[in-house]
Amino acid sequence: MKKTILSIALVLATGLIFAQKKTTTSATVNFDATTSLDKLPHAENKTVIASLDTKTGKLAFEVVIKNFAFANPRIQEHFNGAGWMDSEQFPLATFKGSINNLSSIKFTKDGTYSAEVKGDLTIHGVTKPVETKATITVNSSSTTATADFTIKLEDYGVNGPAVGAGKVSKEPQITVTAVF
Amino acid sequence: MLATRIDKRYKNWMIAGFAILLAGGGFVWYIFNEKFTDTDKVKPAYTVNAVEFISEFKNDLAQTNKKYAEKVIVVNGIISAVEAADTTVNIKMIDTTGNAYIIFAFQQQHLSEAKAMKVGDKVAIKGSCSGGAYSEILETTFISFKRCAVNK
Repeated sequence: MKKTILSIALVLATGLIFAQKKTTTSATVNFDATTSLDKLPHAENKTVIASLDTKTGKLAFEVVIKNFAFANPRIQEHFNGAGWMDSEQFPLATFKGSINNLSSIKFTKDGTYSAEVKGDLTIHGVTKPVETKATITVNSSSTTATADFTIKLEDYGVNGPAVGAGKVSKEPQITVTAVF
Repeated sequence: MLATRIDKRYKNWMIAGFAILLAGGGFVWYIFNEKFTDTDKVKPAYTVNAVEFISEFKNDLAQTNKKYAEKVIVVNGIISAVEAADTTVNIKMIDTTGNAYIIFAFQQQHLSEAKAMKVGDKVAIKGSCSGGAYSEILETTFISFKRCAVNK
């Protein structure tokens, strides 16, 4: 009986350690739309949900728009307002995609790998295909994925007066970090 | 006599214009330099129990979001997880009857409070509720908080 329980426990533990789908609820997304006219449109969201399937290379993110924390209350209000992200109507931004060069990334071997990520990014209710380079760092305790890229706000129907006035960058810098 | 009256009127307009410019400049300066108040000093709109709070969101997400989103709330509960988030940590309270959870990201000046917390600690956390949503990735309801601090 003891042996059976031990065997089941071992199988379960092994399954957890080598689970192919890794998830986190604390990935971070930095949003930087600062310009020479305005240094305020800058925020961080530290509670992003992310998943990475190391077998299939599938990668997904879910971002609560209202959880972007700005230093300035007025900018945060504008960001969530109808002229910008309209977070009442579109509360989440999502990414669903995969790693194209999966075979060149060894998730079982410590190291830093360059990944080519391709997928669909949905912001403000508009879905667009995107491609970006990412860095995947594997070590014994965790796997970290990071990516830096820009988005064109007008592609996602975000074109408030502040964008036109040059106070908000038309192509904000997005930095994503997920520790699995 | 007439010239003196015109000079005086001109002078008054100049003073009024300067005052308006000063007030306008002050207002713009205030807007650009305004920062969120330390959560520690903000009076909460609600004080809730974590399990009941999660249950409220699970029962009616839309209505509960209207009630709590963007409000400062104190949540009483037991820490289920301390999760690394870039250079800091987030605190989680997970519903034991399912996987629904509340996640708290701490305000910059209160990060050390989050780092000192441990799983199993009974705590009261105050923060700005960003509302709840359903995660397709995790297939569960979750509620996010930003600018959190330990409620003292």
